[in-house]
Formats: sequence, C-alpha cells, structure tokens
Amino acid sequence: MADAGDGDTAAVSEPLDLVRLSLDEIVFVRLRGDRELKGRLHAYDSHCNLVLGEVEETIYVVEDDDEEEETVKTIKKQSEMLFVRGDSVVLISPQAAS
Amino acid sequence: MSFFGFDPRGPQDRGHPAQAPGFGSAPDPFASISQNQGLGQEDDDAIDFDDTYDGLGDQLQEADDDFNDDTFGGGGATTKSIGKDFDFYGSTSKVTDAINEEALRFNRQQPPSNPPVASSSPPKHASKAFRTGYEAYKNPGYIPELQVDASLWGTGPQKFAKDYGSKQSSREVGPSQQRSSSGVPTKKMMSLEEVEAAMRSQPKRPSPGPAPQQLAQASGPFVMPQMKQQAPQSARPQQAQMPYPQQMPPTQHETGRAVRPGDLAQAPISIQQRPQPGHQMPRATQVSNNELPTRSSPAAQAPQVAPAPPQILQRGHNTPQQAPETQASPQPRQILQNPNRQSAQLAPPLPEQPLSMQKQQRAPPPGQNGAQVPVPIIYHPSQIMHLSDEERNAYLVEEAKRAKRNHKIFLLSKGNGLMTPQDKNFITRIQLQQLMTATGNVNEQDPDTSLSEDFYYQVYNQIENRPRQNPQQPLSNFAQTYLFRTGGRQGGMGKRQRGGDSHVQRMEQQVQRAVEAAKAKPKNKQLVIEGSLGKISFSNAKTPKPLLNIKRHDSSNVTTQQSSKKTQAVLSTTDRKAILKNIEAVYSTLMRMEDHDRRLPPPPSEDSEPAAVQQVMEWQQAFQELNQKLWMDLKVTEPILPDSAILHPFIAFLSYPKGKKAVPRIFNHIDENQRLTILTMIIVHLDILDVIRQAQPGAQPSPMSREQVDLFLQAVMPSLFSYVTEAPLNIVIGLLGLVTERVNLSAVARTRVGLEVLTMLLSRAAIVKATEATDDQTWDQWLGIYNRFFDLLEPLLGEVFPASVNAGQDQYVWQFLAATGSGANPEQQQRLVLAVKDRVMETLQQSKTLPPEMASQRRGNVNLFMQAIGLDVDLLDG
Repeated sequence: MADAGDGDTAAVSEPLDLVRLSLDEIVFVRLRGDRELKGRLHAYDSHCNLVLGEVEETIYVVEDDDEEEETVKTIKKQSEMLFVRGDSVVLISPQAAS
Repeated sequence: MSFFGFDPRGPQDRGHPAQAPGFGSAPDPFASISQNQGLGQEDDDAIDFDDTYDGLGDQLQEADDDFNDDTFGGGGATTKSIGKDFDFYGSTSKVTDAINEEALRFNRQQPPSNPPVASSSPPKHASKAFRTGYEAYKNPGYIPELQVDASLWGTGPQKFAKDYGSKQSSREVGPSQQRSSSGVPTKKMMSLEEVEAAMRSQPKRPSPGPAPQQLAQASGPFVMPQMKQQAPQSARPQQAQMPYPQQMPPTQHETGRAVRPGDLAQAPISIQQRPQPGHQMPRATQVSNNELPTRSSPAAQAPQVAPAPPQILQRGHNTPQQAPETQASPQPRQILQNPNRQSAQLAPPLPEQPLSMQKQQRAPPPGQNGAQVPVPIIYHPSQIMHLSDEERNAYLVEEAKRAKRNHKIFLLSKGNGLMTPQDKNFITRIQLQQLMTATGNVNEQDPDTSLSEDFYYQVYNQIENRPRQNPQQPLSNFAQTYLFRTGGRQGGMGKRQRGGDSHVQRMEQQVQRAVEAAKAKPKNKQLVIEGSLGKISFSNAKTPKPLLNIKRHDSSNVTTQQSSKKTQAVLSTTDRKAILKNIEAVYSTLMRMEDHDRRLPPPPSEDSEPAAVQQVMEWQQAFQELNQKLWMDLKVTEPILPDSAILHPFIAFLSYPKGKKAVPRIFNHIDENQRLTILTMIIVHLDILDVIRQAQPGAQPSPMSREQVDLFLQAVMPSLFSYVTEAPLNIVIGLLGLVTERVNLSAVARTRVGLEVLTMLLSRAAIVKATEATDDQTWDQWLGIYNRFFDLLEPLLGEVFPASVNAGQDQYVWQFLAATGSGANPEQQQRLVLAVKDRVMETLQQSKTLPPEMASQRRGNVNLFMQAIGLDVDLLDG
C-alpha cells in the first residue's frame, strides 16, 4: 500500500525500499544452496548483503537411503550475528510479527 | 672477418655495433657515464687511425730518409749490394732486431696508431654484448676503479699536459721523450712481425681456440688463468686480461711489452699505462676495446706527434673521470697494483697468482723484462709504504661492498627506462583521479555528498572532536593533506625535480578541474541515437542502470490521489507496512535533523557579521522545517478515535522496537510542547500500548513482549521521565486525570510499564509538594485527582504484584507503592498497608530464607514502601 502523503523520504521508489521497512524486524531469508535464515535484519545494502541478528539457519540436506529413497534432513544452526553476502540471497520476506 | 677474427674493414666502415644498444632500446641511466666514455673512445679510434696515418706518415718518412744511409750504408751502397751479392739479409739483419723491437713495442704502446691493430678492434665490438655497464661486476675478482694517479708516479704533469692537448709539453717530460723517438718509427713500420703480433693478440677474443683459457680465467680462480697466461706469455700475455671480456685490446700492449725486452725507459710508463686500462675498463665497463689501447697510448706515447690529437680527445673524455678517481681512492689501488706487479715482474710468473686482475695483467710481462723490474721499485716504494695489509684488506672489503651495491643497483635498474615520463605522468594522473574520487573533491561544497562518502568518519570525527561543527572541514583537510603529501613527496626528491613537482601541481589542478567539470555537467543517463528506436542507458555504481523505465510522474500522481483519499477515509492504518513506512520516514527525517545539527553554525555574537547571522537564521529555519516534518511523520497529532478498532498511528509506531528506539532521538529534536504532546498521547493510550496489552500477568508473556517491555523501559521511559521530572504540577495533574478517566487502570496497574508510568507521575507530585511552593488551588486539584486515582487503584492493589514472591521481580511495585503512599493521606496509607500487608509479610518471610545479600535487597524494597508511609520493616520483625 502506498502512502506517500508525507513526502519522499519514506516513499517506496525501488524494491530495496521495501527491504528497508523490515529493518530491525524479523525477516525470512532464503539462500542458494537450500539454506534459509530467520533473523532480525540489522542492515542491508544494494547488493542485498545482509546483517542479521539472532539468526536461525536451516540447511536442507537430501540424503539417499539404502533403498534409494531420498530423505530431507534439516540442520539448524543458531548464530548471534551473521553477515550474508548478497549474491547468495534468493529471497527476503518480512516475517509477520508474532 | 678474417681467420684471426680481426675485422679487415677500417674503423670508418664499421657500422653501428650490432649488439650495441639501438635507438629503440631504453637508455641505461647508470651506464651513461661509461657509455659516453665508450663512444668517445670509438670516435677516438676512428680519428686515431686517420691522424696516425696522415701525420705520422709524413714525419716518419722524413726520419727514415734521414737514416736510410746509415742503415743501408748509403743509397748507392744499397743498390750496389743488390746488384752485387744479393745479400739482403746481411745488410738488413742488423735492422731486423730493431724492427722487431719496434714492432712489438709499437703494438703494445700504440695500438691505435697501428692501422691493422685499430682495424682489428671492430670484431671485438661486434662480439660485445649490449653493455649495461655492469658486466665487470660479474667477475668475482673484479676491482673497480683502479686508476693510476699520475702524480704519484711522477708522470702527472705529463699526463695532464697531454690532457690539455699540448703535445710538446708532454714530450718534454722525461720518460715520454724517449718514447717519442721510438714511437715515431713504429708508426711507419708495419712489419710482418708486427702484424702478426697484432693479429695474435686479437684472436683471443673472437676465435674459439683461446676461449677456454679465457673462460677459465673469467670464471675460475685467478691462479689458474695466470699460470696459463704466463706460460704462453712471452708470446701473448693478453689472456691475463681475459677476465674483462671487452678489454681485449690491452693485451696488445702487454704483448708489446712482453716481447720487448730491456725497454727500461718505457717500463715505468708501461706500468702506468697498464693500470689505466685495467682500471678504467672495469670502472667504465663500457669502455670499448679501442679505448684501452688509446688509453695506454696517451700515457706512454704522448710524445708522438701524429697520434697526439686522438689522445687529446680521449683524454678529454677520460680525464674528468680519472682525475676524481685518482684523488678519491686511487692510492690504495695503485699500491695494490704495485705489489702485484713487483712480485709478478720480479719473481717467476707462477708465484704471482695471489690477488687481483691487475696482477694478471702484470703477470705476463714478468719473465722477459729485466728492465721492468727496476721500474716498480723506483716508483712504488712510497706507495707500498703507505699500504699496510690492513689497509689493503679494508680497501678490498670496501670495494667488495661497493661492487655489491652497484650490482644491486644494477638489478634494480633493470626496469629503468621502461616507462617514459609520459607514461609515468599518465599513471600518476590515474592515481590522482582515483584519489579524488575516493576522498571527494577538495572543493566539494555539498556536505551531504561528503558525508555520504564517508559517514562513519564524519560521525566519528564529530564524536571525537565536537568543536568542529562543519563536517565539510575535516574532510577537506583530510583530502588536502593527502594530496599535499603526494605533491610533497615528489618535491622532496630533490631540487632538480622541481619540474616534476610543478608538473604534479599542474596535474592536480587539472584533475580538479576535470572532476569539477564532470560534476557540473548534467549527467546524461541515456543516450538516444538519432533514428534509433531504443535508448542506451549508462550506469555506474551510484546510479545503476534503470532496467525498468517507469514514468514516475504517473505513479506519484496515483499515490498522492490514493493517499489523499486515504487520509480522509482511514486516518490511521494499522497496516503493518504503512506503520513501517512511517517509522522509516521518521528515521529519515531524524537523520536529516541530526545531519542538520552537525551543521549548526556558531552562535552569532553582537559583532558577528550579517552573513553569520544570516547563516544562523537559515539554519534555524531549516531546523523548523525539519522539525515540522518530523512531527508530521510521527503522526502524533492524528485525531484520536476513541472507539476505533484501529490503533493510533503513533501508538502503532511505538509498538515496533525501532519505533521505541527512535523516541530518545526524537526527543532531542522536538520542543517542550511536542514532548508533552507525545507524553499525553502515550498516557491516553496507556492501556493499549503493546507493552501493557501484551504484558498482562494472565497471559504467559512471550520473550518477545518481555523484550519489548525492557526496550520500552530503556528507550522510552527515560525520555518521558526526563520531561516529567521538570514538568509543573498542573501537567502532572492533567496526566493523572487522563489516567483516571480514559484508561483502563486495571490493565495498566498490572503491568510493569504501567506501574512505572504511574510511579513517575506520583513521585513527581510528591517531589513538587516537598520542594516547590504550590498554590493551594492546584494542590487541592491534585488531591482531588489523587483521591480519585486511589479509589480506582485500591481494588487492584492485590493484583499489582507479579506472579510469585519468589521471583523477586517486584521492586518496581514497591517503588510504585512508595510513590503512592507518599502522596496519600493517613487514611489512604492505612488502606494501602492493609491491601499489601500479606505481600509485605510474605516478602519478609521469604527474605529470611535467602542469602544475606538478596535478603537485604528484598527488605530494602519493602522498606522503601514502609518508609514512604512512615513505617519500617524492622518494626514488623519484632
């Protein structure tokens, strides 16, 4: 919803302006290589480099069973602070506050 | 090329040496000196030849004519003898020895004057590799700059005289004169022996045969080479000189000398000569083969009339170098040489091997010349006396060091001349340009730009160095010092680099102009080629190429319409994104305001200039505008819709962590009224603040909400508190009135934030009552409000405490109770005590089970309240 009544400072003029709205909020980030992050967005830049705090990282690993069934294992990691290089970012989504 | 490797062509025929540096090759600055020398030598060589040919020829002719009779027993006799007995040998045999002598001596002393010799030199040139001037250093035993000090030898005057080109003066000198006589004839006589000798002496270099010896000498220990040399020596000592590849020619001298026995008079001279070639070659490295002969000639053959001119030329080149050398270090060298020579000459060749190259040179002559023996003795003694072993060693070490250093320089200088000055300038310009873009233009007038370039530096600077109000200033200084330093370094290289210095300055100016021009020029982001349908858009780091070219005009129209509609229809939206957007707007404005603060001009004094006052005025105006904008962004003044399900935008603003965090910063930039308005807003919506709604004791508080509460207490409360602590009583009354009338007190009272806000108000009233004189009316008003509040509060008192006594998180409650009790009348105090009596007892009871520290803390909390109502915990204990 555009609400540009108050001048240009907060106007959404480019996609990253939407990311700005999620500053200091919990965001969900999907990365290349089947990884997902969930954490508080502290900073970002035009390359989608991100700094996230209190991050929970989820890694999806596909493993072949003996019967050749593929099972997906998830590995979770917690990080206090994380720098994410922008070239691996696939998606940034605001996580509705609980 | 002939079999012996001598070049039959005359010197003039020689073209540019194939291996010599071409025009395209970069000049070797370090070699310049020696190169010059070399060139000079070559010239000399050519000249030598001519001169020799012409001048000497004439003279010799006459001389010969004069003596013809003597030699052949008269012109008639000669013809007769031919006719009579054909005994050519008989009459000429007398002369042959003399001729041989002459030839050899001539070869040794005056190779240049000898046409074949001179011509033979060219091949050596060809074989010469490109001269860097450091070849000599490759020879392990090389001792550079071994120069004869003419004065030491007593021949100084002679030499110098020659240097100045006065042949006669040189002739007059003792030793030279003798030679003059001998030298003159040599010119003319190109006997077979002579030619042979010359040829033999030369082949060493070019011809493969002798090479092994040379190699051995060059690379191997000196001893061996010397041995070899000495063996063949009588014929050709030249090998001794092999270590200096270029120096082949000197060998000729040696040969000459070696062959010629009993040349006493010349011996000293030849010694002098020797050192010269040896020294100069290493030193000048580039010295050509020709040079050597010529060199030797000046000293020895000065007397000769014809050759003189070339010699003069040579000297012109040589002297400058020689002179300094001789004065600087020559003595020790000479001394070194001398001992060697002596040993070499006196003793059999073999023992001599010990030391240096010069020895080798000397070595050849030894056996033959009885005459030479005396020479060293005559001239050297004084020098030898000077020379102690230590000195010699020291000198050698010194030389080794120097050679090492020179070699290093040589290695470093390999790249010399690769770049032209233009290239260097080009690079420098690029670097400067980068520097400019990196640090911003020195003349950059827009602080925003500079600030955005390095924000953290600016902020840091501001923090570290408050007085600097203008963020522009430090940056400029920074950039300037940087630039200056660059220039300074260039300038510091020396005064002769002044040109370079000014050049750098010019370049800086250029760069500045270029940058300014680039900035001034409106940036064309698109290139539309005529006749084409598309546009080419450029991009750079700051303005990425717009892939979507949406006309902003339209969209902004739409949004304004929408927003205007919205502001009328839905004044506040709970839409999350809208709130977030509001928050971002507030932050943007906040940052601009903080920026603006940084640019606060110095406060104008009475005598400050109008411009300064004007500046302040402008600043204040801008500040007001920003303040208004901030106020609008906050949406504090949006009308309150009491029954609206929609959260007030400001309260929604506060429900976000970043909203809360913004409050302290906002409070820095708003005036008292605005602060009051915000405080009022918060009080009015106290019960629907997220930190109160979500912190009700019934529901299990999520960690999130707990964080929110903490954040609120850390960020928002101090700001509010700082305002309230200075607020007059009537404001407190008004606020408390709002609490009692518009707020669900039961919700508020059960939360920490709520209680703290209430505590804040009540304690302020208590302090006002205690410290300030208030008129009765206001006080009555306060009492009325307070009574009302107390009535509302009393039923809730049992619920104000957080869940369990054991948690120990109830300090704020006791503070609240204390604040309440301090304002209460005795009757109210009693009711208060009754209401919380159980809690008091429980707490005290529990504190007894705790370690002393915690116990005393708990009791202190309780006592806070007890003392507020005139009691003390200790009373209860009893």
